[in-house]
Amino acid sequence: MSPPALEIRDLVVRHAGGTALHGVSLEVRRGEIAALVGANGAGKSTLLRAVIGLERSASGTIAFDGARIETLQPHRRAALGIGYSPEGRRVFPGMTVRENLEVASDAGRRETQRRLEEMLEMFPRLGEKIDTASWALSGGQQQMLALARALMRRPHLLLLDEPSLGLSPIVLEDVYAGIRRAAASDVAVLLAEQAVTRALAAATSGHLMRLGRIVASGAAADLMRDPRLRAAYVGT
Amino acid sequence: MLVAQLLVNAIALGAAYALCALGFVLVLNATGAVNFAQGDMVTAGGLSSVAAASVLPMPAVVLMPVVMVAVGAIGAIAAAIAYLPLKNRPAVSVFISTIALGVILQNTMLAAAGPAPRAAPPLIATRLVQVYGVALPLQSLAVICVAVLVGGGLFVLLFQTRVGQKMRATAQDRAMAAALGIDVVRVIVLTFTLAAALGGAAGVLLSNTFFVTPFDGANYILKAYIAATIGGWGSIGGAALGALLIALFEVLFPALPLIAPSLARLPAAAEIFSQTSAAIALYIALLAILMLRPQGLFGETARRRA
Amino acid sequence: MSALSLRGAATPLGLGAAILLAWPFVFASAYDHRVFALSGIYALLVIGYQFIFGHAGAFALTQGAFFGIGAYAAAILGVRYGWTLELTVIPAMLLAIAVASIVAMPVIRLESHYFALATLGISQVALLVALNWESLTGGANGIAGVPGLSFAGIEATEGMKMAVLVWAVVVVGGALAWQATRGLYGQAMRLLRADDIAAAACGVDGARLRLVAFLLSAGYGGLAGALYAHALRVVSTETLEFHVMVACLAMAVIGGRARVAGAILGAVLLVHLPEWLRDFERYYLIAYGVLLLAMIVLAPDGLIGLVERGWRRISPPSPRSTPAPIPILGRAPVRHDVPALAVVDVSKRFGGVEAVAGVSFVVRAGDIVGLIGPNGSGKTTLLNVVSGFETPDRGHITIGGDSVDGLAAFCVARSGVARTFQTPRLVDDMSALENVAAARAWRLTPSLPSAISPRRAAHMDQRARGEALGLLESLGIAEHSTRQCGGLPIAVRRRIEVARALALEPFLLLFDEPAAGLAADERDDLARRLVALAQAGRALLIVEHDMSFLLPIANRVACLEGGRLIALGPPDEVAHDPAVIAAYLGTGRAGGMD
Repeated sequence: MSPPALEIRDLVVRHAGGTALHGVSLEVRRGEIAALVGANGAGKSTLLRAVIGLERSASGTIAFDGARIETLQPHRRAALGIGYSPEGRRVFPGMTVRENLEVASDAGRRETQRRLEEMLEMFPRLGEKIDTASWALSGGQQQMLALARALMRRPHLLLLDEPSLGLSPIVLEDVYAGIRRAAASDVAVLLAEQAVTRALAAATSGHLMRLGRIVASGAAADLMRDPRLRAAYVGT
Repeated sequence: MLVAQLLVNAIALGAAYALCALGFVLVLNATGAVNFAQGDMVTAGGLSSVAAASVLPMPAVVLMPVVMVAVGAIGAIAAAIAYLPLKNRPAVSVFISTIALGVILQNTMLAAAGPAPRAAPPLIATRLVQVYGVALPLQSLAVICVAVLVGGGLFVLLFQTRVGQKMRATAQDRAMAAALGIDVVRVIVLTFTLAAALGGAAGVLLSNTFFVTPFDGANYILKAYIAATIGGWGSIGGAALGALLIALFEVLFPALPLIAPSLARLPAAAEIFSQTSAAIALYIALLAILMLRPQGLFGETARRRA
Repeated sequence: MSALSLRGAATPLGLGAAILLAWPFVFASAYDHRVFALSGIYALLVIGYQFIFGHAGAFALTQGAFFGIGAYAAAILGVRYGWTLELTVIPAMLLAIAVASIVAMPVIRLESHYFALATLGISQVALLVALNWESLTGGANGIAGVPGLSFAGIEATEGMKMAVLVWAVVVVGGALAWQATRGLYGQAMRLLRADDIAAAACGVDGARLRLVAFLLSAGYGGLAGALYAHALRVVSTETLEFHVMVACLAMAVIGGRARVAGAILGAVLLVHLPEWLRDFERYYLIAYGVLLLAMIVLAPDGLIGLVERGWRRISPPSPRSTPAPIPILGRAPVRHDVPALAVVDVSKRFGGVEAVAGVSFVVRAGDIVGLIGPNGSGKTTLLNVVSGFETPDRGHITIGGDSVDGLAAFCVARSGVARTFQTPRLVDDMSALENVAAARAWRLTPSLPSAISPRRAAHMDQRARGEALGLLESLGIAEHSTRQCGGLPIAVRRRIEVARALALEPFLLLFDEPAAGLAADERDDLARRLVALAQAGRALLIVEHDMSFLLPIANRVACLEGGRLIALGPPDEVAHDPAVIAAYLGTGRAGGMD
């Protein structure tokens, strides 16, 4: 069997606020949507940032398609085929939708154009705004742009941080449809989400995080019924 | 006639200032740091064109690409020794390191060229040409044309090419650019190179009309800074416009008694309408802008991130 | 006096003194003495520059201008009226200070780059004025024939006497600067330059402190300029040119930014560098630039930082006389008749986003109110509004019955509101004790005179340290009091921050995620301490995500979503409120799958 797209072993991350991750291990396979759920501050964002390299790991390993990447610079990891859509979208505000997409592509002009059209097909609403500066987009449109931008390198692994934050239900459906389409094309998706119900409904597997640890893992449907889930959020 | 000549000279000066200010703003946007040696890049451009002309006696317009490459190389070195080692330190460290770099550059130029003021060759030639019956200095017209070409080239590079997209993405959100696969260190070195080349180009344009000496840099960096402040910190178009305004003021204010002879009869007119008082007025205007409109004359009110 | 017998904070001064005493005897010729005197003049200039650059942490480029202004003032008075140093020095210093106070108005609040470049512009104006006001300054020719250096009728124009006079002034000026910055006052400045937000939260008036530092810099600059004018007897526009500023900056960076000994070391070294490199006359300034660049990259704390680090390795610092813990007396009385905090219809927008929208609630003495809500719901913004870091667009806030609308954060802190931060904002290279003591500074040594008076300053310093130790002890971390905060674990750092908050004698405490990053037993301990604080009559408002931590200790819980208050009541009720559950689990407005 081929190695998992992402394999994390005993990952520890520290920053000024203390230890953010205390030895996290998980795997994500191609075609799988793995949801990271848990309250704010549980370490979900930190985990995604550590995988793309924006956060340095203190110990532990991260392997992508079987090769260790934890010492690589972020741009090298992205070049290997990891797409990242951060919390708060972080589109390049002074650039148009087209430029945001083009700048994230590593291919030649023609191939980039082809991928761009593919993205517009997936997110038709972006097509209407193709030459609009991205700061002028609505939150939902920015989220779609961030997702499309993360797909421009045709990644094998997609890291999505809070893709539902601040979106209306209809827009949310579009975004999740995009995520499912990506996974269907043999991409591994790791998704951090506070909106548990939404995330687990779309995911195949789920990992519940609390205080920098994974406290429960399993099939998404099982995790949804797990009493620890509610306890982690509401404390009762 | 006089007004037209003054205007052309002022626009030419402003166009050269604008190139220097654009370089300043490019580095500022890409790194968040002030490159204080940008003014010395102008001097380096001026002196290199003097040196190049002594080897190869040609009009400066021919020498200019060579000068830009040479000064651009200095910019790349600047990035390597004065920025990259400090990229995780407070921005003021880079300010200081580029002051140090300026000291090195100034004194290297002093050792190489001596303290005497030099004049670079004209872009094409120094004579007057008739435009719609008005005699205008060819050098000034050529400066305007070349600056527009260089500035236009920069615009095309930034907005029409993939490299330019990467530079802008890096300037807007460096961490995100890296996470999308852009080698931000390379992009930043490239930005310094480009900024220095623009400064060098400004040097070629300025050093025929004005003599060049090794210690002129401080003056140019101040102009670039004022232009950037007037135009809205970080705005490329604003900086160019700011540079133009500064030059118009610098040229036209001391010339007011020539334009309106009644002013010359004012008591102490010679003192009031001098280069010096123009410079002083400029700095006071700068302080007023900083106090009253810190976003610059043309900048929008800074949007805060929620 | 031997430098070796001095320890701790006295080491730099001892080192400086040793250099000072030894140098004139090492070099014999009159010329060398004059060069040495010149290095003393620069040392004064740099000691002054350290106030604004080193201590207040603001990158000013005016120090060269203050030097030139002092030099011109002394030269003009000396030539016109035949005044000698005793008479010219005060006007020279006052003129520099006056110029500084005028230019401070527009620039003192500017951010770093703006401040640096604006101050550079001011220097440029000074140079232009000197060049063009020929009737006063002699224009490009400058002023010759300034009376030679003398003091109390004794001529000091000969090299050795000149060196002795100048260095006597350096000793006095250096001692004053050292005294002003070594105690609590200096700790407040360290806090300010490390973290101006934490400083404001500790009641430190940053703008005022920065202004005082700027004026002190100007005064020392004027003094150095006056000495220069009389020592060289000629003043030209060179004294106002940028290279004086660069030299001063280089000396401060190469010597060390915040130590008197660093200023002396940097000045002596760089003034003598051209002498030592005389064979490379044309290149020594290049070497100068290379040295400056190398130091800023490799040793940002300067030579004195290297010396101190080496010194600590040879003889680890013995802690200063350990203070006896003292309780803080005179705490503001607890008032039960008015709410400790009343938030009335407060709104705050950022751009198009309404971060806080029409929120009202009260916190009373003895209450623990929990503030919960999903990411981005406006909790931290609300804390920032209450503590004065953000101005609300609408609504009112009263603290202890008094309106705090429009008050700056440091004023809110002084009125009895203390806060902690999501990530503790401590000064990493200060000890736990110093971090806590710094929050006592505005109360114990509020002004420069109180910091310079050695007896009062020492007394207050001792008292603040005692009080700080008392607080650390009450939080169970006294054993960490002398350790640098940077290396301490998060649980200890959080407690130090709580101790620092208590040092403000607050009756209202705001906590931003106090349990984040703590292990289970540490959380339990924190919970007990928070309850004890409330039982002592303080009012607590706690932002927290961890419900298992918050719910058992809170009297009431307020839940925000999208900036609005969606629930407020006893913890059990709020935890079971469907709207709250929906906000957290995303089954409500955002989701809609169930």
